Amino acid sequence: MYNANPYDVIPAVIYEIIEESPTIRTLRLRPESPISFKTGQFVELTIPNIGEGPFTPSSSHYITEEMDITIMKTGFVTEYVHKARVGDTVGLRGPYGKGYPIEEWKDKNILIMGGGVGMAPTRSLFLTLLHDIDDYNSITFLAGARAPKEVIYKQHIDEWRKHDKVNFLRAVDKIPEGERWSEEVCLITKLLEKIDIDPKDNPVIVCGPPVMMKFGTLDLLEYGYADKDIYLSMEKKMYCGFGQCRHCVMGKYYACKDGPVFTYDMIKNEENIWE
Amino acid sequence: MIVKIQDFYSFLHRCQKDCLGGFKSVILPKKSQHSDDDLFFTTLSEDNDYFLDSYRTVDPIRMLFYFPREIVLPAKKSKCKRLIVGAKGCDLRALEVLDKALINDDFVDPIYNFWRENTYIISSDCMTISPSCHCNLLDGKPYAEEGFDLNLSRMDDSYYITVGSSKGEELLLLIKEHVTVSKVSPNNINSIKANRKLVEEKLRKQNKQYERTENYYDLRSVDIEKWIEASKSCIGCGGCTNICPTCYCMILNDETVTKDFVKVRSYDSCQLHGYARVAGGDTPRPKMYQRFRNRYLCKFDYMKSNFNLLGCTGCGRCIDTCPGKIEFRKVVQKMLELPRKRVSSSGMKIQESENV
Ligand code: SF4
Ligand code: SF4
Repeated sequence: MYNANPYDVIPAVIYEIIEESPTIRTLRLRPESPISFKTGQFVELTIPNIGEGPFTPSSSHYITEEMDITIMKTGFVTEYVHKARVGDTVGLRGPYGKGYPIEEWKDKNILIMGGGVGMAPTRSLFLTLLHDIDDYNSITFLAGARAPKEVIYKQHIDEWRKHDKVNFLRAVDKIPEGERWSEEVCLITKLLEKIDIDPKDNPVIVCGPPVMMKFGTLDLLEYGYADKDIYLSMEKKMYCGFGQCRHCVMGKYYACKDGPVFTYDMIKNEENIWE
Repeated sequence: MIVKIQDFYSFLHRCQKDCLGGFKSVILPKKSQHSDDDLFFTTLSEDNDYFLDSYRTVDPIRMLFYFPREIVLPAKKSKCKRLIVGAKGCDLRALEVLDKALINDDFVDPIYNFWRENTYIISSDCMTISPSCHCNLLDGKPYAEEGFDLNLSRMDDSYYITVGSSKGEELLLLIKEHVTVSKVSPNNINSIKANRKLVEEKLRKQNKQYERTENYYDLRSVDIEKWIEASKSCIGCGGCTNICPTCYCMILNDETVTKDFVKVRSYDSCQLHGYARVAGGDTPRPKMYQRFRNRYLCKFDYMKSNFNLLGCTGCGRCIDTCPGKIEFRKVVQKMLELPRKRVSSSGMKIQESENV
C-alpha cells in the first residue's frame, strides 16, 4: 500500500459545495485518481499552504470517483475549508484506519447515533448499508443537533425514510425563537426511550461530540447493550494517519491505525478516551 | 582483531578524504567548546579532540536519522553513505525502538529508512559514565551488545574490534585493506572484560539510591496526587522529549505554494499544551501534570505494548536538560512505591486496590 512516499497527496477538485448549516458544509470532491476506502476509514484533507486535518468521508464507500466530506467550522484549517470555492483544488491522503466491520452485521438490527457533525461518518455508513439493505434486518438512525438550523442533510431525509427497513428519528436540544421544528425536542440520548430494539448481539454505532459519546455510552450500557457491541468513533488529533506522529495514542492503541472506530470493550480501560 | 588507535584514526580520515568504501562523511563525538563534560556528534575534521571512549553525547543519535525539521514531500533523492563512530549502547537500543516505530508493516518513513540503510555504525564501550547515566536500571549495559556493525573496546593504545553484522564484516575488510590489524590474545579479552565490569560497578554504585521495582505497568494506577506533586517544578518546556533518543512525535505542516504539494515534518512534544489539540481547542491533557504523566506512561507502558521495548534507555539526557531540575530516576522510583490507589483511566470508576 505504501510503496511510494507515505506523505504523498492526491489532488482533488471541489465540484460542488453544499451549505448544510451556518457552520457546516459538505465539499463534494473529484480526486485525480479514484480513492477506494471502507466506510468508517478517514482521509487527511489538505488545504494548500494552510494545513491538513483528518476527516471521515460522508459518502458511500461504493463511490470512489467522487467523495463527499462534511466539515464543521471549528478551527484553523476548517475556517479555510469554509472559504474554499467550487473549482479550488485541495489534497487528499489515505484512506487510513480500519473502518466499520459491516460484514459482521449481516441480518442484524443496526442502531446508529449521530450527533452534530458526527452525522457525517455515520451518513457514509448509512448509505453503504442502504446499498445492501437486503443483507440487514433493520437500520435505526438517531440524529441529534443543537437547534433546527444546525440539522444537516435535511434535503435527503424524506428519501431515506422511504425504506421500510429504516427508522429515522431526529431531535434538537432546543428550538430558539424564530426557528421551526416538528420532530423531537430532547437530547439525542433520550431518543433511546422512543425505540424498541433488542440490544442483545446487535451493534450500535455512536459518533458525536465527546460528551455525547461518553453519556451515550453510559445510556447504551443501561439500555442493555454489551461493551463489545458499542462502536465508538474516536475524535483525536490524527496528524499522520499511520501511527507515526503519536498524537492520537490512547494507551496501547492508535486512534488512526487501530481505529478510529473502537468497540467500548477494546478501549474502556485505556487512557484519554473521552478527552 | 586489534587495531592501533592512531591507525584507526588515519583510516577514518582516509574514509572521509578519499571516499574509501564510498563513505562521504564520518561522524563522531567531540568535546563541546562550552563544557568539558559535554560531547556532541560532529563531522571528522583535522583537529583531533574526539572522544570515542567516554559516555554518550548530548545529542541523541536519533538526530542523525530523524531530523528536527525536514521536507518529506516531495521526497528528496540523496545519495550518501555515512559512518558513525562512537555510538553508545543506549543509543543503539533507542534505534531499535525507532526502527519498530518508523519501519513497519503499516508505514515506512522513507528518510529514516534511507539513513538507516546508508549509515554504518561503529559503537564503542563506555569507559566513563556521566552522573545521569542509568542504563543499568533498565537492563542496559555500558557497552553495546547488538545493533552495531562494528564495536570498539579500548585497551591501552588499541581498539579491540567486534563484528556485529554483515555490514560490519564489509567494514572490517576495508580496515584491513588500509591499516594493520593484529590478532587478539586471551589476555586482551580478559582486560576488556575487566574494564567492562569496572564501569558496570560504577553504574551500580551511582544508581543504588534509585533502584526500583520493575512493574512499570503499575504506573497507570499511581495516585494522581503523586503526579501533581512530582510535576510541580515542570514548566512544560519540552526539553526532555526533544533530547530523548526514543521520542519521535512529529507534526506535519503544509507549505504548499505552487501546484505541487509540500509537506514538512517537525518534532513535536507531548509536554506542550498544543500537542494533540483538536479543532475547536479541546486537548486530551490540558493540565501540566497530565502531560508530565503522559511522558512516563508513554516510555514505560504504551511503547512497551506497541513495540515490546521500553521507551527509556536510561541515557539520562532528560535529567541533564531539565530546567525544572526534575530527577527522572527519582520520579520513576517514587511512582512505583507502594501503596497505590487504582484509578480507572476513563475516570468512570475509582476503587481502592489491594496492595499488590
Ligand atoms: S525538561 Fe523538565 S521542565 Fe521541561 S517539560 Fe521536561 S520535565 Fe518539564
Ligand atoms: S526518558 Fe530520559 S533517560 Fe530515558 S531514554 Fe529518554 S532521555 Fe534518556
